Amino acid sequence: MTNMTGIFIFSEDRALAKQLLTPALELKQALGQPVTALALDGEAAAELAGHGADKVLVLQSASGWVEGLGDAVAGLVGEASVILIGGTQRGKHLAAHVAARLDAGLTTDAKSLKIEAGKLVASRILYAGLAVCEEEQSFPAVATVPARTFPAPAAAAAAGTVESVPTAADGRIAVTGVTPVDKSGVDISSANKLVSVGRGFRSKDDLHLAVELAGKLKGEVSCTRGIAEDEHWLPIERYIGISGQIVKPDLYLAVGLSGQVQHMVGARESKIIVAINSDERAPIFEAADYGIVGDLYAVLPLLTAAINA
Amino acid sequence: MPKFLVLYKWTLDEQDIKVKSDDLSLDASRAKGKISDFDRNAIEEAAAIVEKQGGSVEALSYGTPTVKQSLKDVLSRGVDKAYWIGDASAETADAAVTAKVLAAAIRKIGPYDFILTGEGSSDQFNQQTAPRLAALLGLPCLSFVHKLEVDGAKASVARKLADCTELATVTGPAVISVLSDINKPRIPGLKQVLGAAKKPSEEIALGSLGLAAEDLQPKASRRSVKGFVMTRKNVIYKDAPADAVAKLVSSLAGEGLI
Amino acid sequence: MSDDTFDAIVVGAGPAGSACAYTLAKEGRSVLLLDRGNSAGAKNVSGGRLYTYALELVEPGLYERAPLQRKIVREQIMLMNDRGATTVDYFDPGFGEAVPQSYSVIRAALDEWFAGEAEAQGAMVAPGVVVDGLIEENGRIVGIRTGEDEMRADVVVAADGVNSLLGQKAGLFPDVKASAVGVGVKETIELPDELISARFGVKEGEGAARVAIGCTEGISGGGFLYTNKGSISLGIVFNPEQAGRQTRHIQDIFQDYKMHPAIHALIEGGTSVEYGAHLVPEKGYHGIPKQLSRDGFVVVGDAAQFGINTGLIIRGMDLAIVSGLAAAKAIIAAKQPADVGTLYRQQLEELLLIANQQAYQNFHGIFEISRIFREYPALANDAMQFLFRVDGKKPKPMLKGLLDIVKRNVSFGKLLGDGWKIYRHI
Ligand SMILES: Cc1cc2nc3c(=O)[nH]c(=O)nc-3n(C[C@H](O)[C@H](O)[C@H](O)COP(=O)(O)OP(=O)(O)OC[C@H]3O[C@@H](n4cnc5c(N)ncnc54)[C@H](O)[C@@H]3O)c2cc1C
Ligand SMILES: Cc1cc2nc3c(=O)[nH]c(=O)nc-3n(C[C@H](O)[C@H](O)[C@H](O)COP(=O)(O)OP(=O)(O)OC[C@H]3O[C@@H](n4cnc5c(N)ncnc54)[C@H](O)[C@@H]3O)c2cc1C
Ligand SMILES: Nc1ncnc2c1ncn2[C@@H]1O[C@H](COP(=O)(O)O)[C@@H](O)[C@H]1O
Repeated sequence: MTNMTGIFIFSEDRALAKQLLTPALELKQALGQPVTALALDGEAAAELAGHGADKVLVLQSASGWVEGLGDAVAGLVGEASVILIGGTQRGKHLAAHVAARLDAGLTTDAKSLKIEAGKLVASRILYAGLAVCEEEQSFPAVATVPARTFPAPAAAAAAGTVESVPTAADGRIAVTGVTPVDKSGVDISSANKLVSVGRGFRSKDDLHLAVELAGKLKGEVSCTRGIAEDEHWLPIERYIGISGQIVKPDLYLAVGLSGQVQHMVGARESKIIVAINSDERAPIFEAADYGIVGDLYAVLPLLTAAINA
Repeated sequence: MPKFLVLYKWTLDEQDIKVKSDDLSLDASRAKGKISDFDRNAIEEAAAIVEKQGGSVEALSYGTPTVKQSLKDVLSRGVDKAYWIGDASAETADAAVTAKVLAAAIRKIGPYDFILTGEGSSDQFNQQTAPRLAALLGLPCLSFVHKLEVDGAKASVARKLADCTELATVTGPAVISVLSDINKPRIPGLKQVLGAAKKPSEEIALGSLGLAAEDLQPKASRRSVKGFVMTRKNVIYKDAPADAVAKLVSSLAGEGLI
Repeated sequence: MSDDTFDAIVVGAGPAGSACAYTLAKEGRSVLLLDRGNSAGAKNVSGGRLYTYALELVEPGLYERAPLQRKIVREQIMLMNDRGATTVDYFDPGFGEAVPQSYSVIRAALDEWFAGEAEAQGAMVAPGVVVDGLIEENGRIVGIRTGEDEMRADVVVAADGVNSLLGQKAGLFPDVKASAVGVGVKETIELPDELISARFGVKEGEGAARVAIGCTEGISGGGFLYTNKGSISLGIVFNPEQAGRQTRHIQDIFQDYKMHPAIHALIEGGTSVEYGAHLVPEKGYHGIPKQLSRDGFVVVGDAAQFGINTGLIIRGMDLAIVSGLAAAKAIIAAKQPADVGTLYRQQLEELLLIANQQAYQNFHGIFEISRIFREYPALANDAMQFLFRVDGKKPKPMLKGLLDIVKRNVSFGKLLGDGWKIYRHI
């Protein structure tokens, strides 16, 4: 096992791993320490080495169960100053294990990262998005970073080195099956315009009103948690919020949804937010650029018709 | 028969926390305590399994001294016995401190076959406690579980991840964190509420856990907390639908969106 | 006490229920106090002035432990028209002899406190429980139902508020009629405590209570305003039947009230932290059901429609407490559950609740004069404007000017008729 100082990054999600290089390279500037990336295969390793990682370690694990790599990663990062892990669910599990092993702090879902007075300062949300807080950690410091928080860096002039390390996994867990989620072809998080529906809709059949509007706008339909999780009117991956998707479209058109903070935290970075709600006291109006106080059943058909013109 | 321990956090109900408009500080003076939302799912899951197949459910919480107020509620949810650690250190505790305190307490009152937690606490939502605790106790951990079956010492789970559903098995003792859609927590009935008054609860003094002062120092400490404010245009049309729609359409056109 | 039976089950932990449970528990009776809110008082809406005597009746000195806001030392009546307001301000820092006469209160805090006091006396308190039925055996009420659970008691006390489901289930009275209730909407507005003291000209811990007439667009009703610690409670109570005939939304009328210059100056810069609506019994003495009990069952507080609204004062909480106390005393004195009804009546007389209700029994009729809510407040303001105007022009003779103003607002016939009507009802 090697003992190194420096900045480490890891994500099993290749796109996210690349995005992690952006803050890692900024930290490199501040700390004057090398960036080491951990990867799960050679292809990913080459990509990271080509985009600014000084060194890439390929973890050669028999199981491939990312959550089981905690002890191995903790051993590899030795005396790291900062460890950034991609904020997928697997990544968060791994990060917490690593932090516990290193007796380190861990900021979950860091939105920004900087070094101040020899400490890692990261911002994140509290109370489901009601508040934002800044946390500081001495080294070693760990943070998970959600996808799309940072853009991927450009290709580097010189490629870093790639090395393989044999890695033991947690043999106590037996994974007996994996079923990929049927994404029905849409990725809500990349849609430019979203028509988002809430419990103001009285039945699943009525959703066609939103689908037609989204069609005219060339956007997609998203929803609140209740519509997906309780009613099962739309697939789970279409709901927005703290426990669902975080989106940043140009237009977020919220229809018949109240705008509770747990939902809005997923949508509040949208460029323009429009609300249609029959209750003028609904919190969504405070979060909206434009709004109509009215019955969605009256407003949506008119709006859909008007947009064609 | 499985012996469960459920970890629950006594948090402030964020719905009653207000952001002060002048300095963006948080005003929690109207906020009451509640059992953190997803922990109610964890409690329900253990209670439902035990009600069906036998076994026992105990619960443990670490919080400021107000955590004592949670006992009535937690004991009315199918829990046989509740342990609580009430100490001011919980005010600033991060997941590192919390996991150390809980691990030390579990060493004292355990062992358990399965230790259940929520996916994340509704105030901090660190999503760390379960894996950290497992690492400290040397136990395997399954996170983000939305289906749980227990057969003797073996647990079979379905984990729900963003891109897949994963089936896995583990032999207890193990730590398991559950998602909110694993069940619908009960609303305790009158008999359960009255029964709670007769159930045992026990305070665990933090001092009795053999932790060093250093262990109670958060590794991630909060420098500042500010209410999130969104500045939006707030142009709201209250006219008859046709007029309002016409105005909205021209606003959207003005934004270059249609 | 066996596991499932109590001496009394009190349904509803408002002021009526808690006063009843407190008194019973203090006497060593086994009592179960239930409320559907997640904590007692969680959802209760009320203007928030409590007349202290009621708590004194329950136990001398009890009020000193209560979470009271400000002692009311200013009683204000404000007559409004759309531009201005004429306010009568009675200042009396020593109002009430040994015990201050009234305090502003925040219901959520008061109710939670009072239920806590009952619990401390030994009552079993269970929040989050909705009672949905009564158990009846051989014509007697012997317990309650909630979901799957049943619970038995010698006596069930219905303290479940104005729209009492239990009173209806027991067959004591039908569903409430719109004509028998007022609808109250209320908002709590937070402001720095010192600013409130300054705006109302009171010292720390002291406060003002104001009624406003002329702010309901002619609908029978009025506004109120109470100063609390760090907040102001502001609301209107109105007749829902008349409001139903009105084209404007009640929220808009309330908004106008808030925005009226005479009110807005008082709440300006504040943040609204709470908003709610609730019914109030409106018929006074004549609204009280003939029968307030059955074998094993009594109704107290708003459930029994106790309430006094003179137009200047709104009383409900104090009567709720007194009636809860009366029921407890009756249960304690009763040899058997069948006696409770008669003893309860006697207690209501003895504690002067009935006498209070009777004293104002005809007031309700006054509110049928619609002019009280628009024309008369306007008249008062016009008169003031006339009396205080100095513009260099030749003033009208005093008497003629005033008579013109009266004529502009109401005909003399109506004025005489209304005067006579008010005289009769008082
Ligand atoms: C820990 C936790 C995590 C959570 N995570 C999430 C999350 O990730 N995502 C999420 O979405 N929620 C989440 N929630 C739930 C969230 O708090 C809200 O309960 C939820 O977002 C509300 O959904 P809604 O707006 O569809 O329903 P409601 O709040 O019921 O709102 C319905 C709205 O429709 C309006 N309406 C009704 N009829 C009409 C009509 N005819 N025309 C126009 N308007 C009408 C109503 O006025 C109302 O405002 C979470 C909650 C908790 C406690
Ligand atoms: C806007 C407004 C302003 C007012 N201002 C004043 C004022 O300034 N001064 C004053 O003295 N009075 C005022 N009142 C009147 C006063 O609020 C009531 O008279 C008083 O609250 C009556 O008390 P109560 O205990 O009978 O009923 P409530 O306070 O209504 O309590 C009833 C309780 O029963 C519970 N409950 C109901 N049904 C069930 C069930 N099925 N199962 C379990 N629990 C149940 C409810 O949750 C509630 O907690 C005002 C009222 C309003 C609406
Ligand atoms: N102070 C605590 N006491 C007991 N359990 C806790 C505490 N904090 C967190 N937990 C448990 O750990 C889970 C995840 O919390 P967190 O890591 O803070 O998001 C919660 O859902 C609880 O089950």
